[in-house]
Amino acid sequence: MKVTKEIRVDHLARIEGKAGIEVDVGDDGVEAKLNVTEGARFFEVITRNKHYNEAVAIFPRICSFCCTPHKLTPIEAVEWALDIQPSEQTRKLRDLLYLGNVVESHALHLYLLVVPDYLGYPDAFAVAQKDGGLVKDGLFLKDVGAEIQTAIGSRSIHPESAIVGGFGTLPSRRTLEKIAAMAEEGIQKAVRAVDFFAEYEYPQYVDIKRQHLSIKPYDVYGVYGNTMVSNNGDQFPVEDYRQHLAEEVAPYSYAKRGLFNDQPYMVGALSRVVNNDHLLTGTAQDLMERYHQFVTPDNPFANNFAQAVEMVFFLERIRELIQEIGEPVQEKPAQPSRASGEGYAVTEAPRGLLIYYMNIEDHVVTDVDVITPTAMFLPMMEKDIAAMAEGLWRDGMQDGDTIAKKVEMVARAYDPCISCSVHVTRL
Amino acid sequence: MKIGIHGLTSCYGCQLSMAIVRRLLDVVDKFEVEYFYMLSSKGDIADVDVAFVEGSVSTDMDEEEVKKIREHAKVLVAVGSCAIHGGVQSILHNEGIDYDQAFATVYGDRPIHYRGRVAEPIDKYVQVDYRLPGCPPEEEEIMYYLSTFAIGSWPEEKDYPVCAECRRAGNPCILIERNEPCLGPVTVAGCDARCIKYDIPCIGCRGAVPHDTAWFDSLAKTFKDRGMDKEYVRKRMAIFSAHHGKLDEMLDAIYGD
Repeated sequence: MKVTKEIRVDHLARIEGKAGIEVDVGDDGVEAKLNVTEGARFFEVITRNKHYNEAVAIFPRICSFCCTPHKLTPIEAVEWALDIQPSEQTRKLRDLLYLGNVVESHALHLYLLVVPDYLGYPDAFAVAQKDGGLVKDGLFLKDVGAEIQTAIGSRSIHPESAIVGGFGTLPSRRTLEKIAAMAEEGIQKAVRAVDFFAEYEYPQYVDIKRQHLSIKPYDVYGVYGNTMVSNNGDQFPVEDYRQHLAEEVAPYSYAKRGLFNDQPYMVGALSRVVNNDHLLTGTAQDLMERYHQFVTPDNPFANNFAQAVEMVFFLERIRELIQEIGEPVQEKPAQPSRASGEGYAVTEAPRGLLIYYMNIEDHVVTDVDVITPTAMFLPMMEKDIAAMAEGLWRDGMQDGDTIAKKVEMVARAYDPCISCSVHVTRL
Repeated sequence: MKIGIHGLTSCYGCQLSMAIVRRLLDVVDKFEVEYFYMLSSKGDIADVDVAFVEGSVSTDMDEEEVKKIREHAKVLVAVGSCAIHGGVQSILHNEGIDYDQAFATVYGDRPIHYRGRVAEPIDKYVQVDYRLPGCPPEEEEIMYYLSTFAIGSWPEEKDYPVCAECRRAGNPCILIERNEPCLGPVTVAGCDARCIKYDIPCIGCRGAVPHDTAWFDSLAKTFKDRGMDKEYVRKRMAIFSAHHGKLDEMLDAIYGD
């Protein structure tokens, strides 16, 4: 292809991890690549031949934004492998802990990483000088999530207190009630975020038909469920994931890249909302009705909006879970009923599906496979980046910097997590 | 005072911790943040008074970048376990797995343009003036480091183990009383024994006590007396101390070769 315009973003700012964007506009189309330049960290190699307790303490270090999902998902896989049955209270506390992470991650992404684009500032420091309220809302919502993870998990980045079978020391009822009150106070702030994102129209260039993959939640809209569903009616259990989800390696990236039915696909807040919106209740349901035109399955910018709606729903759900948990009762962690076995788990990390497979022999991990959301959606994101650049170019936009800013916004809408994407999975 | 906050190969948790320090607003007007790419799209690596660097050197680009950061910084602070000790990704080093072998396990024989390497701490490549430990660092300690720099002073690094803070906090000793594989005795303090307070044995995430005073041998003896085998103990201790020069010889002294 004869290239007529090159657009380069060497280091994409305001994302988790290190990556660059390359777009080539040529005579027969536009090619886009996300160069993932962060080093490989080989988590499936460094956790092998370790006791499962040590292995699950290492996985969260894959990524700080999604550390809690990278703790709770391998715990599920170990418990499947060794037939460990955690208590009902443990399941509820895990749900709460996980939602704390999702709220924190969404708040950080939307307020600190995305909002500056929408308002035309380089960062949230500059936003704070013009509109302190907005950034304060974001930091408050981040704190709700951080408080939950500290109370139940020991800290908000790399929680150590969630372990196979249960938890260490549990928080008091009073601590949980304080968190419930914070969540209550956060709801109106999250609604303001929904209103904020509903003021912006999505760029038409990236209206592309796409597949959305998410879990089918066990009962309530949330992060747990062992079956995956698509917006086209596909459905499969997590243990069949290898038959459905292909991964390829590209020479320009340490990150693996996912395909479903041989096609790129999307995962994350938008996919969850598209596939499971019938399960949204309360204020989130009202907002979905009021702003239904913003939930466009074919436009990735709707992902920001979907994250804001999820913050509202999960804050209400956090309140509800705390009520259901009542006074936490200190329990001994549930014990394995066998020493060896294979286990699978899938959950909804903030950025989308997270799959763990583990094989354990005599309490020692012998094989691990991890598929992260960013690895899954990379090909779709590249397709959208190319579409954005091509659309702008065709409409006469010649300025590389302006095109670069727009394609960066496409990438950011996906909330990519580069640390997550480099490292894992077996071929 | 001009500062820069940088990330090499890591989980970005140290930068995230620095970004969300709640009392940051108390000191933020003392600083001009020249570089913080995780949060801001302005700026290139520029001359600063203090550069904070998270992450291990795991690629050629990491090496180039940390050298460039050093050239532009009067003071360089290694932040967190990856920058100070090489991080959990350094386990490869302790296990004796070479890069190509690990690479083939994960990516097969497909070519990737970038050349990687087994993770290493940044002081292998540049002079490090101060170390801010943690995985990630504690909020109090981030504030302490920022505040001392802000008033033209410098931070004093802790040189005693988690146990000191743990006893002061009045926790029961879960190592002695319950035979838990707690690494508090060899791990540098500063977390106020956070995990033991939650009844979880220390995994050593803050890294070994500095100045060659991490007595892995003495702790290994305690573990051995409680029936823990060498492989288990080595693997647990190596998670955050894979590059520690004395770990293996101290274990050999207790368990034999």
